[in-house]
Amino acid sequence: MISKAWRFKNYRLRTKLIVTYFLLTFIPMSLLGYIAYNQYTASIEEQVGEYIPKLLDQANENIANQIREISSLPEVLYNSDQIVEILRNDALQNRSSLMQDEFTVNTYLSRNFINGESPDILGVFVLSKDRIFQSTKIPYSNFGLDQSLSYGQNIELNGEEVFLLPHQTSLRFEGDPPFVLIMKQLNDLENRTDLGTVMIAVESTFFKKVIDELNDEGNADLWMMDKNGRIIYHTDPSMIRETDRESADYPKIDGSFRTVQEDESRLISLNYLQETDWILAHSILASNLTERTDLVRNVTIIVFLIFVLISTAISILLAWNVSRPLNQLTNVMKKVEQGDFDVDLPAGSTDEVGILANNFNSMVLEIKDLIRKNYQIELKQKEAELYALQSQINPHFMYNTLETIAMSVEDDEKDTVIEMVTLLGRMLRFSIGNKEDVVTISDELSHVKDYLTIQKIRFEEKLDFAIETELDTEQYGTPKFILQPLIENAIKHGLVYGNKTHIHISVKRERRNDGTEEIIFGVRDDGSGIQPEKLADINLMLEAGSMSKRDDHFGLMNVQARILINFGSTYGLTLSSSLNQGTDVQIRIPALLKDRGGAHNELKKN
Amino acid sequence: MKALKILFYLVCILLIVSACSMPPDSSEKYDVIYTLEKVSYEETDAERSREITIAVVPKVANIPYFNAAEEGALEAAKDLGINVIFTGPAFADAEQQIIIIEELIEDGVDAIAVSVNDPEKLAPILLEAKGKGIKVITWDADTLPHARDFFINMVDPETLGRHLMDILAWNTGEKGEFAIMTGALTASNLNEWLHWIKIQQKEYYPEMTLVEVAANDDNPQLAYASALNLLEKYPDLKGIIGNSSVGPPAAAKAVKELEREGEVAVVGLSTPNPMNEYLKDGSAQIVTLWSPKKLGYLTVVLANNSLKGIDPYDWQEIRKVGNIRMVDDMVIMGEPMDFTAENVDQYDF
Repeated sequence: MISKAWRFKNYRLRTKLIVTYFLLTFIPMSLLGYIAYNQYTASIEEQVGEYIPKLLDQANENIANQIREISSLPEVLYNSDQIVEILRNDALQNRSSLMQDEFTVNTYLSRNFINGESPDILGVFVLSKDRIFQSTKIPYSNFGLDQSLSYGQNIELNGEEVFLLPHQTSLRFEGDPPFVLIMKQLNDLENRTDLGTVMIAVESTFFKKVIDELNDEGNADLWMMDKNGRIIYHTDPSMIRETDRESADYPKIDGSFRTVQEDESRLISLNYLQETDWILAHSILASNLTERTDLVRNVTIIVFLIFVLISTAISILLAWNVSRPLNQLTNVMKKVEQGDFDVDLPAGSTDEVGILANNFNSMVLEIKDLIRKNYQIELKQKEAELYALQSQINPHFMYNTLETIAMSVEDDEKDTVIEMVTLLGRMLRFSIGNKEDVVTISDELSHVKDYLTIQKIRFEEKLDFAIETELDTEQYGTPKFILQPLIENAIKHGLVYGNKTHIHISVKRERRNDGTEEIIFGVRDDGSGIQPEKLADINLMLEAGSMSKRDDHFGLMNVQARILINFGSTYGLTLSSSLNQGTDVQIRIPALLKDRGGAHNELKKN
Repeated sequence: MKALKILFYLVCILLIVSACSMPPDSSEKYDVIYTLEKVSYEETDAERSREITIAVVPKVANIPYFNAAEEGALEAAKDLGINVIFTGPAFADAEQQIIIIEELIEDGVDAIAVSVNDPEKLAPILLEAKGKGIKVITWDADTLPHARDFFINMVDPETLGRHLMDILAWNTGEKGEFAIMTGALTASNLNEWLHWIKIQQKEYYPEMTLVEVAANDDNPQLAYASALNLLEKYPDLKGIIGNSSVGPPAAAKAVKELEREGEVAVVGLSTPNPMNEYLKDGSAQIVTLWSPKKLGYLTVVLANNSLKGIDPYDWQEIRKVGNIRMVDDMVIMGEPMDFTAENVDQYDF
C-alpha cells in the first residue's frame, strides 16, 4: 500500500485531480446508494418478517379453534346416556343384542357426526371392548381395525388426543382426500374406566381455507407440517405427504428468518400450533418481496451512473483547466532555462494560475532587462577602459619617443627624426582618427609595426622584430588595439640587458572543430620569461576573465576581457613562458571577414 | 491499466462495505429476523418435571365414598406424574384431622386439599399451612372462606338439596312424615343441603312433615342404630333421606330388617355399590350422588393447576372430567346422578 501511495504521489497532477474528483463523487454516492438500498430492502424484509408471523399466528389461532372444535366432537358421545351405557357393556353378549347395540350407536354416529354441523368429517369410528362402531361419509379401505389396532384390547392414550396423519395409518378414503385422524380416549367419567377410543377422520381441507386465504397473491408457499417435517397440507398439492427435509434445521421459533446459504434467499416464517404440535410455515422468495423496489433500484442506478458520468466529465474538465496552464508554464520555463528569454505566456485567467503566469512573464521581462543592463554597463566600462588604454599609451610612449627624437635632433640625424615623427604621426592618427572598434588585421599590424619601429630606433641593437602572416590581412578584421598591449609587455618585461631581444609576430588562420575559422595571433619574444608562480597567477586571472585591479597586467587583462565579452569564452589569450627562454602569447579570435565587416564595426553594442 | 486498478479498489471497498450487512457468523444457515413473544414450551415442561406433592385429606378414611375419591385422586397423580398422599382420620373428627394436617405441614407438602369436618376448628391449622406457603383448598366440605383459596363442591348445594327432597316426594306421594339422617352436625356441606331440603319441602310439599334430623358422624354402626331407632320411634314414617353417604345403606338395611319395604321410602346420597342390593330388592328407591372418583381426580388436578398458578375459572375444561363451573370461590363439578335399580349396575364405586 505504501508503495502504491508513493506511486500515486508521483502521478501527473491531472491524473491525481481526476482520480481524486472521481473518488470524491463516486465513492460517497455509491456507498450512499448501496447502503440506502440495502437498508430499504432489509426494512421491507423486516416488516414482512414481522407481519407474516402475526398473520400465521392468527391463522393458527383459527385452525386451533377448529381443532379444538373437532377434538371436542367426541364429547357428543357423553351426551347420550344410552350410548354410554352401551359402551359400558362388553362384547360378551348374545349376537342379537350386539347387533342391536351396533345399530343404535351407528345411527347415533351418523346423526351426530356425519350429518351433523361439521361438513369436513369423513368418518367416525368407535372402538370399544372388541366392538367396532362406525359411520363414514365415503367408502374407505385398509383401516385394518380388526387385526392390527386393538387385538381385542382398548388402546390406551392416557387421556391425550392424538392426531394421526395419513402416512401414519393405512386408512384411505375413496378419492384420496387429505385427512387427519383424531384419536381420543373415551373415559367413563363416573367409574373412571376406559370406554374405548373414538377416531374421527376429518378432511384436512378444514385449514385449507385458512391457509389459502393467506396466500391470495399466490407467490408464497404455505404448508402445515408436523414437528418431523411431514407435510400435512401444502398450497402445492403435490407436496402433501412429502417431508420438508430442512425443517429439522429451522430455528425453533415462532417468527421468521431468512435463508442465508441457498442460491435464492427465502424468507421463511413459522408458527407453532400447540394443540397438535404442528407447524404452520410460510415461505416466500426474498426477491418477490423486493419486486416493487426493483424499479426504484434501477432508476437509482441509472441516475447514479448519469451523475458519475457528469461528475467525471466535470472533474476531467476541471483537472484539465488546472493542469493546462501549468503545462504551458513548464514548457515556457524550459525555453527560458535554455536561454530564450523572448517568451510570452498568455495569462488567460485571473485565478491563481493566471497570476502565476503574469508573475512569470514579468519575472522573465525583469531578468531580460537586468541582463541587458548588466551587459551594457560592462560594455561601456570596457569602452571606457579602451579609451583609457589608448590614452595611457600616449604620455609614456610620447615622452620616450619625443626624447628619442630630441636626441636624434641633437645628433642631427635628420632622417631618423623624420622617420620617427612620421611613424608617431601615423600612430596617433590610428589611435584617434578611427573610431571603429574593428579594423583590418593589416591596419592593426602596420600600427604595431610603427610602434615596434619606433621602439627599435629607440633601443637600437637591443631589439629586433619580425612579422609573419599567412593570410590576406586586408580581408579579415580584428578588434583594435589587441596586439599593442602585448608587445608593450614584451618590450617592458622581455628586454634583457645586454642581449638582443627578438619579437616575433605571427598571424595565421585555423579551422576549428566545429567548422568555423579562427585567427590566431602569436607574439613571441626570447626575453627573460616569466617566473612559473607568476605565470600560474596570470593564467588563473586570464581564465577568470575579470580585471580585479588595474595593476601591471592591465594590458593583458583588458585584451582578454574584450575578446571574452565580444566572442565568448572559447576565444581569448593563452600565455606560455619558460624562464630565460622567452614568452609566447597567443590570441584567438573568430575570423571576421572584412566584406561583411560592416556588422562587425560596432561589434556587440546592444 | 490505472483505471482498471482503481476499479478493482472500488470493488474491494464495496465488498468490504457489503460485508457489514452480512450476518457476522456465516456458518449459520438462517438469519432470524423476528420472533413472536410467546411463552416457551420448554419452560412448562421443566415445571412439570418438578416433583410436586399434594395431600388430599378426607373427612374419614375407609368408607366407600372416600375410597372411591382416593382412587380418583391416585389416577390423577398417575396422569399428572405427581405425588399424592391420601390420608384421613378413622372417624369424622376435627381433632384427628388437625393432627393429620399438622403432620402434612411438617412433611412439607406443596398443597393440601381437605374435606373439612368442622369449619371453625380446622380454620386455624389451615391458615397456619397457608402461612407456610402451602396451597390450601377444600373439597367435598368447606371451611371458613379466608382459610383456603377455593372450595371444590361436587354439585350446587341448592340443586342437590332440592333434588333430594324431590326424589323423596316422588316415592311417598308427596305426603307423610319423613326423617333425615345426616353425618356430623358440624359439617358445612351437609348443613347446607339440609337447609335447601327444608326450603324445598316448605315451598312445594306442605303435606309432608320433617320429624327428626339424626346425626351419625359418618359412622356406619351408629347410622344403622339411628335408622332402627327412627323406624321404631315413628311408626307412620313414610321416608328417610340419607344426607351423607353412610345414611342410605344403613336406612335401607334397617327397613329390610324390619321388613317395611314399600312402606318406608329410602333415598339419599350414597355410592351405588353399597346400595346395589337394596335398590334391586326394593328396600331403597333412589340414591343420588356424583362420582367421588371424579371428585378426587378433579381435586388433585385443580390443586396441581393452582400450584402452577392457574386458578380455576368458569366453564374451564378439565381433561377426563369435563367442564366445571365457578361461583365466586367455589368450584362446582357437575350435576348429581340418580342411581336406580335399572342403572346401578353400570357404576362401580
